[in-house]
Amino acid sequence: MLVLTRKEDESIMIGDDIEVKVLDLKESQVKLGIVAPKSVAVHRREVYLAIQSENTQAASAAQIDTITDLIQR
Amino acid sequence: MQLETARFGSLEVAPDAVITFTQPILGFQDYRRFVVLPGPSDYLWWLQSTESGDLAFILMDPAVVVPDYRIEIRPAELSELAVTSIGELDVYTLVVVPEDKRKVRTNLRAPILINAKLRLAKQALLDRSDYPIQFFLAQPHQGQGQAREASNAGLNP
Repeated sequence: MLVLTRKEDESIMIGDDIEVKVLDLKESQVKLGIVAPKSVAVHRREVYLAIQSENTQAASAAQIDTITDLIQR
Repeated sequence: MQLETARFGSLEVAPDAVITFTQPILGFQDYRRFVVLPGPSDYLWWLQSTESGDLAFILMDPAVVVPDYRIEIRPAELSELAVTSIGELDVYTLVVVPEDKRKVRTNLRAPILINAKLRLAKQALLDRSDYPIQFFLAQPHQGQGQAREASNAGLNP
């Protein structure tokens, strides 16, 4: 892993078109600004992992009739 | 083409029924081609992989549980699916059905968008949305909330 030290208002470039800038530093939080092409998806890692985990569980869903039991329309 | 599936046995799939994911379902990078099959009711479908007979997801119409479900999609994502507005897409959500009925849930944060006409699809990750990744179907829906509050109050006098 590449490790870089940055101060507030400094940034790094990833490739030619992705910039990650340190906007604000608080005690235990850092606020990042990300400039990237619209084709690049940017997500918080925990959200990304949670969706991946949920997808994996969705792939092993078996009893579809359970859903119709739960939904009364 | 003939498809051997774990859930539906042998299926005859018309080549023009196959949809292609422009971005894979997160965690399923090797599977891009699926068919949508009808489920047991008019708001449920199966999303069956044509590349693996064992792989199928349950899709639902999220409006059944959240009538005002609205999502915002970036223009770049719309053009990826060859449309200019969300109205041109079918919006589904994936359902997780574990053993415990109370934990049956759908992912409102990462819906499956399908351009039915051109048979393109993707899973959108709504990064600016508050919709939950786990929306439990067994929770009391609108109109029943007060009843749940009342019963919770009863537990903690």
